[in-house]
Amino acid sequence: MSDELPQVWIDETKLRKRSRRDFLLFGAGTLAAMAGMWWIAPVSSKKRILGEHATDFLDTIAARVVATQERSERFQNRALTFDDDIAEALYSPNRTVRTYSKRDVTPLRNNYEGRTPSRAYLDTWTLTLTGLASGNDVVLRLPDLARFAQHEQVTRLCCVEGWSAIAGWSGIRFSDLLRAYPPADGAKWAALESSVNLDGRGNPDPYYVSIDLPTAHHPQTLLATHLNGHPLGTDHGAPLRLVVPMKLGLKNIKAITKIVYVATEPRDFWAERGYSKYDGL
Amino acid sequence: MDSEEPVVDVPVVAEEVPVAEPVVEEEVVDPHAGQRLVVIKHHALVRLSHWLNVAILFGMIVSGLSIYWASPVFVHKANPITHSRDYLADLGISIARHVPGATADTSWFYNHFGLGVFNLAGGLRWHWLFVYLFIANGIVYLLGLILGRGYRALLPRRTMFGESLAMVRYYAGVVPMKIARRPWPHPEITTKYNALQRGAYASMPIAGALAIASGWAMHKPVQLWWLERMFGSYDGARIVHFIVMIYFILFLIPHLILVLVDGWDTMRSMVVGWSVVRESVVGSGGPEIAAEVAEAEAAPTDPLLPTPAAGGAE
Repeated sequence: MSDELPQVWIDETKLRKRSRRDFLLFGAGTLAAMAGMWWIAPVSSKKRILGEHATDFLDTIAARVVATQERSERFQNRALTFDDDIAEALYSPNRTVRTYSKRDVTPLRNNYEGRTPSRAYLDTWTLTLTGLASGNDVVLRLPDLARFAQHEQVTRLCCVEGWSAIAGWSGIRFSDLLRAYPPADGAKWAALESSVNLDGRGNPDPYYVSIDLPTAHHPQTLLATHLNGHPLGTDHGAPLRLVVPMKLGLKNIKAITKIVYVATEPRDFWAERGYSKYDGL
Repeated sequence: MDSEEPVVDVPVVAEEVPVAEPVVEEEVVDPHAGQRLVVIKHHALVRLSHWLNVAILFGMIVSGLSIYWASPVFVHKANPITHSRDYLADLGISIARHVPGATADTSWFYNHFGLGVFNLAGGLRWHWLFVYLFIANGIVYLLGLILGRGYRALLPRRTMFGESLAMVRYYAGVVPMKIARRPWPHPEITTKYNALQRGAYASMPIAGALAIASGWAMHKPVQLWWLERMFGSYDGARIVHFIVMIYFILFLIPHLILVLVDGWDTMRSMVVGWSVVRESVVGSGGPEIAAEVAEAEAAPTDPLLPTPAAGGAE
């Protein structure tokens, strides 16, 4: 038949036995794979395929043989944490994010989850730091931040949705703030919050992200006050937002009002909604 | 095996003249009685990874489409009637128009070919789960390719251009000639795969590697910056990633059609690893193989093949 295919004589009985074994193994594998797929498939997709009744029926059977929805969620979340662990292992404090020239700047979408807050909050805006080594909270206003060295960078903001934009940011380095107001011993995380964020109906809906301190210390992690040379508008997080180009856009919290240094991983708005926690690019 | 009985019967007949024919008895006994001549086609690891890939690629594509929905790569100006900006959504709308009871809207495609709209988080979670399996499975496949020496059948050869043309000509003519009831012989192929198959199969590990590389380029464009640069830019990686998915689907269509046309023996070989010998080795393998050979299209005899056991069942 061909020059590369070995031909062999095999005992009929042996061949039949082996083939039966292979078909049984692959058949069992197929059933297992289909059951596994069913177990981890979103309920909405399952109902679209098989309808309400059949889905409930099969899910009940699955739950009886310990393949519950909660276990499915836990199993799938492990894929997220595994991927996050890989991202964390890849992180290098010395690796700089690619910077662009001002000519490369592209339009930046206002991707506020809810409604964009109105300017009213700006008059009374302060930034509160807690969890400091001094034991006391610090409240900062814009002039306090202006005393720090100002830095400028043109970097890409990558959204979890898939789009990205190149923007020029300026502001202070997070690392300079950390040096001026050092966190308490044992702090490993910064919990950044914005109390002024709104939901889709315009009701208060605070936004919060977790940032690991190694990332906060990165020289390209900015607490930005300007976008493309202009003071930030409310659409992009006036007066102070996080620019952390080694993380997904959703970590670049707008209109920061509070930074808390903590020892254990703080809650994260999108991680609570099924996304990963670390989000390192 | 029942079919071998005539061979075994010969000495029984010879019993009538016990002294005279001991030498004949020696010649007549088939050394392969109760055996079957098969070609070893696919290593167990290749078979395993092939079928695992069905589930894994399915998981990758349906979750990938839910991710794609969040921010389509290929867009046009919004259609005033459907409000669609996305070619895939358009495709879904045109399919749904022919599906009874379906709502032909922009979400139809993603709800029926993906994990659904507004399911970016779930889509990403599936995508990460399946991509690590995809990578592991790729390693299993390559291992099987090396251990079973299957890679040799995928390497390019000098004859590939001429043979590709012959195969394209054959495939182009096969249906019209069937209709015209004219003979349309398959080009003579003496290797495991014809040139088109070889190209298609050899391109799969490359496409897989490209899918993984472009995926990681957009997943970790900062830490794996060199990978992102390889694709020109962040969006370059996205475009390559999506084109590779289309390529996988384009491969799948003829792959499925051809395996169905080719028949059970080819399909089975991906489960059991062996295939029947289709050459005119009738006589050595007994009536069972003879029947299978008769069924198979007249394949040319390879002069390089070792002659099957002399003095078979005749």
